[in-house]
Amino acid sequence: MLEIKDLHAGFEGTEIVKGISLTVNKGEIHAIMGPNGSGKSTLSKILAGHPSYEAMGGTVTFMGKDLLELSPDQRALEGIFLGFQYPVEVPGVNNAEFLRMAYNAKMARQGKEELDPLDFDDILDEKMKLVGMDPKYKDRSLNEGFSGGEKKKNEILQMAVLQPKLAILDETDSGLDIDALRVVANGVNKLVNQDNAIILITHYQRLLEYVKPHYVHVLSKGKIVKSGDKSLALDLEAQGYDWLTPIPK
Amino acid sequence: MPTTLTDTPSGAESLILDLHGKYLEEARPPEPFKGLNLASVRRFETLKFPHPKHDLFSFVNAKELAWTRFQLQRDSRIGKDIVRDHVYPGCEKSVLVVADGTFRPDLSDRSALPSQVKVSSLREAVADPAIARYLAETIESENDVFAAINGAFFSDGLYLEVEPAALVEAPALILYISSGSASHPTMTVPRVLAKVGRHSEVKIVVKYAGAGGNYFVNSTQDFILEENSKVLYTHIQADPFESWSFAKDRVHLNRYSRFHGVNVYSGCKLARRHHEVHLEDSGAELKLDGVSVLTGREQAHNLVRVHHEAPQCASAQHFKNIVNESSRSSFDGSVIVNKGAQLTNSDQLINNLMLSDDAHADSKPNLMIYADDVKCTHGSTVGQLDEEQLFYLNSRGLSQGMAKSLLTRSFAESILGEIQVPAVASDLRGILSKKLEADHA
Ligand SMILES: Nc1ncnc2c1ncn2[C@@H]1O[C@H](COP(=O)(O)OP(=O)(O)OP(=O)(O)O)[C@@H](O)[C@H]1O
Ligand SMILES: [Mg+2]
Repeated sequence: MLEIKDLHAGFEGTEIVKGISLTVNKGEIHAIMGPNGSGKSTLSKILAGHPSYEAMGGTVTFMGKDLLELSPDQRALEGIFLGFQYPVEVPGVNNAEFLRMAYNAKMARQGKEELDPLDFDDILDEKMKLVGMDPKYKDRSLNEGFSGGEKKKNEILQMAVLQPKLAILDETDSGLDIDALRVVANGVNKLVNQDNAIILITHYQRLLEYVKPHYVHVLSKGKIVKSGDKSLALDLEAQGYDWLTPIPK
Repeated sequence: MPTTLTDTPSGAESLILDLHGKYLEEARPPEPFKGLNLASVRRFETLKFPHPKHDLFSFVNAKELAWTRFQLQRDSRIGKDIVRDHVYPGCEKSVLVVADGTFRPDLSDRSALPSQVKVSSLREAVADPAIARYLAETIESENDVFAAINGAFFSDGLYLEVEPAALVEAPALILYISSGSASHPTMTVPRVLAKVGRHSEVKIVVKYAGAGGNYFVNSTQDFILEENSKVLYTHIQADPFESWSFAKDRVHLNRYSRFHGVNVYSGCKLARRHHEVHLEDSGAELKLDGVSVLTGREQAHNLVRVHHEAPQCASAQHFKNIVNESSRSSFDGSVIVNKGAQLTNSDQLINNLMLSDDAHADSKPNLMIYADDVKCTHGSTVGQLDEEQLFYLNSRGLSQGMAKSLLTRSFAESILGEIQVPAVASDLRGILSKKLEADHA
């Protein structure tokens, strides 16, 4: 589904991602862990197409297409979803209306009928129940004044509405209380099936108790320094990252 | 024809004077209009067309307009079908049509307006000496050359009077429709005088639109608010691009009266609004908001002069301009706090959203304070759409055009949300989205 080959990428000429290769197949859950500043969010933004970040080398193929050639909205319509580490506040844009626009953009792309507000409301109600969000958040401005946890839940709500093929969740578990964490985990587990895949970027083992990754990768200084199964996450929790980074001679 | 700005006067004025001579001969305005016209044309000669540094025209280049040889619109081609296109739902039975400057009872329907609302042509209304006197006084003290031109040519208009203690439910919609002409530029001079009695409340919606282009609608509107009255006012400028659309709105606020105006501009070749507000007695309140959405080479200019003439009055202005492509907006606003106007509260804020490098938005907020115990703020901002917000929306599958249009609409929403007539607000939302989408496609 997703094939990253020797990807180099960065920001304003500074290389941050320094040669990453990663293959994600349908039905797989990958966890990416790694110290602060190691390039996890940069990788996710490059995959989603943030205009300030540039690919400097390597290739990314998604469902047979050259991902780096596509604009962010085209990538989304192809089925990529980025759960932001810091979801953006958009004052004046109604949350429900925004969700409906995004949903209908996807419908239009698939040649399906777009939904009017009334019909969409039914879908929205169901998804909000799923992620445990009060219906009052429909009428709020998109993320405006939402608490940290509410913003993360809203990301999961968007994912649940848009049903992406590949979801990249950048620290969606950070800042969540234990109930919200269960909600997020539940949302993720509902999404994964044989046709979808998920990349979870996280610092904590605790999410991985609810969502079982098939692979765990450690990103350090822009490179994947170790890959393994879920036991790697436990080792990291116990020992930190130091043992993975070679001591410079 | 002169080609520089500095040699504008004399020559251009003579075009108006010639036209005025013809007008007096052909239209033979009855008294007191003839007297008012003559007084106003003298005012015009004193004021003259603005030189480039004129303080009421800092950002408006009126040269092309001044040099255009206008004719007065004679045959009005406005019929019921055109009117119907512009009536908002809920205003069907409270619509007053001013077609090419003339109030047209035959095209109007006032059946939903209660009997406390008196509607007549200005011709009838001037029989009241107080009204004739008011007109004479405003003409004598007119400071805007285009309003003086209106005074020089008007011989009719609309008079609206709300009796005391009336709560008028149906919004009174005043439609200014101009015919335009394919063969030559035409000028119309609509004039409206509205008086709202003590303790009355009324919603007034005015809309400027055209059946064709190539016209200059040069209107004046006077609102006199008596003690404790309230006017909720919505002003929509929706003329076709090929037109010039000018208006001078003058508001007199008495004790504890309130005027809340929302002005929405779609722009045209040259749209200009001059708002002159007098807070004349204590406790009066003004709220004046505006939003322009401009594309192509459209222009919309606001000139605001708010005079705090009594203590304990409040005024708040919030104008937003969205300028795209090569469009141009300006806001030139002064709040003048007179010596005795203690405990004045005044705020003024202008936000400009620049959607293109070629667009232009000028802001000149200004305070002139002659009292010592006042609270006044003013400010202006200029910005672009936020990159992070755009990316966030894009990352959910909204195209760049949709995302821009959504963010731009949300910028306008804080002003549109102030409109007190829901059907008007939703119609404007639709028009603005269409305009923004067409533009970003
Ligand atoms: N927009 C930016 N401007 C400046 N520096 C940036 C920008 N984006 C990333 N960087 C730098 O790139 C490096 C990697 O940042 P990134 O956000 O990818 O790390 P991360 O692994 O997600 O860290 P964290 O665990 O703290 O979220 C950091 O040193 C960061 O300062
Ligand atoms: Mg990060």
